[in-house]
Amino acid sequence: MTGLHDMQAMVRDAVFETDTQNPALRAISEHIEPSEGMSSEEHVLVYRRAILGTLVRALGNIFPVGKQLLGEQFFDGMARRYVQETPSRSSDLANYGASFSEFIARFGPAAELPYLPDVARLEWYWHRAFHAADEVAMDPGSLSAVSAGDTGRIIFHLPVSASLISSDFPIHRIWAVNQQEWAGDTAIDLDEGGMYGMVWRRQYDMRIDTFDEPVWTFLNAVAARTCFGKMSESGIAGDLDTLLPRCVQRGWIAGFDLA
Amino acid sequence: MSRFIDKPVAGAGIGLRSTHYQTIIENQPKVPWFEVLTENYFGDGGLPLHFLEKVRADYPVTLHGVGMSLGSADSLDRDYLARLKALAARIEPTYVSDHLAWISVDSRFVHDLLPLPYTEEALANFAAHVREAQDFLGRRLLIENPSSYMGYKETDMTEWEFLQELVVLTDCDILFDVNNVYVSGTNHGFDPIEYLHALPKGRVKEIHLAGYEEQNNYLFDTHGYRVHPPVWDLYQATIEYLGPIPTLIEWDNDIPPFETLLDEAGLAQRVLDSMDAAA
Repeated sequence: MTGLHDMQAMVRDAVFETDTQNPALRAISEHIEPSEGMSSEEHVLVYRRAILGTLVRALGNIFPVGKQLLGEQFFDGMARRYVQETPSRSSDLANYGASFSEFIARFGPAAELPYLPDVARLEWYWHRAFHAADEVAMDPGSLSAVSAGDTGRIIFHLPVSASLISSDFPIHRIWAVNQQEWAGDTAIDLDEGGMYGMVWRRQYDMRIDTFDEPVWTFLNAVAARTCFGKMSESGIAGDLDTLLPRCVQRGWIAGFDLA
Repeated sequence: MSRFIDKPVAGAGIGLRSTHYQTIIENQPKVPWFEVLTENYFGDGGLPLHFLEKVRADYPVTLHGVGMSLGSADSLDRDYLARLKALAARIEPTYVSDHLAWISVDSRFVHDLLPLPYTEEALANFAAHVREAQDFLGRRLLIENPSSYMGYKETDMTEWEFLQELVVLTDCDILFDVNNVYVSGTNHGFDPIEYLHALPKGRVKEIHLAGYEEQNNYLFDTHGYRVHPPVWDLYQATIEYLGPIPTLIEWDNDIPPFETLLDEAGLAQRVLDSMDAAA
């Protein structure tokens, strides 16, 4: 008699197998009752279709712009390949798809759209920010409570929902013109250059903010938990006296602690 | 004191879906309770939890999960249980339910409710998991019968015998899905009435109704249609047998305007009321 674990492993292998000879499907079908009008294999195939369909749909929901750019048929075919080779490791379906942009970068047939992996990364960060913890904006006055001798020890924080992103392509514009509510011109000049930005959520307001290179460098130093003293010494982030108030005012800095 | 309304779950409720948040919060429709899909609120924050708390302020809420994987040969996912416990503390649900099914093996998740072989081994494993989860959560679980599209040759008992034994072994309650038992009965050739009459009375705390889809050789449970006539008949028989158990309208695919769900809930409420009148 086949034990519970082995039976479940056989079902799973039959669902995700890519071998067109279907050896895993045939193996589990030995253990499945046929019914009137349906063979054992057909019973298992109901689950294969349902499960692959669920995961492909989940990716379509997380990456709607990717789907829009590729068309439904191409996207679903690509997503199916990803699903077959990428097990879900979490009971929460919202955690599935973290490596999708890397998969797209390797996926030959999508190479015609070189910006697609970056767009997918942007969409993943958006998805993460949507579900991130709520956070109260930083009170700029709280900085003045730090004594002059301690300012060097300040370590700033990005918002908990934030992901920094850069691309050689104007992916924020590609994203925007592919939103349902976009009413303007959809033409984009890929030569207009890349972007530095941050995907985050202020209260319930989802944002993709873009900025210049000094801000990018500064916020990356913040993300790496570089203390303020070290930033000043190394000159890593340029003119801190103007950068810092600007970033606090825009909400890109959400808090701080002392090293 | 709780920020939330404190009322028992009774009558015909509706499954809360994100497309209806606004209309519910703005119009406060006359619905006795809402049920939400547990894992949709496992995020750390954001709009889904914000809306859920708003709805919860005015309505009782039940939590219905698909992710506990109680039937898996793997050990229970403690991180999942911890998230569920935190959500339950935040939302104060009347009931917490999950399925007689497995969704993972070797920590790989399939995200679909797969049926178990109804063996002594699977029963002992399932019962141990239910006990562990109930101990951890500090509350009784409701276990729901799944729709199923395959049955194993190696089996020691029927699904309803498995469920009966489970109640004895774990002291859990039952969520009886009338649509699922109709779908599974059609697909596997058993009589849903036999299943119904095997249910331990007093243990069924909630009922589900939904619409299936007819395929060539089987019924598929899509939750994408109105409740079908034979399921309404079986529901009538269920209420006559078990009494006016709180009943939920579920709709997950091609979600219609909220009025359609109100209409379906109204039909269920009429069946419940006819029992109250007869009592």
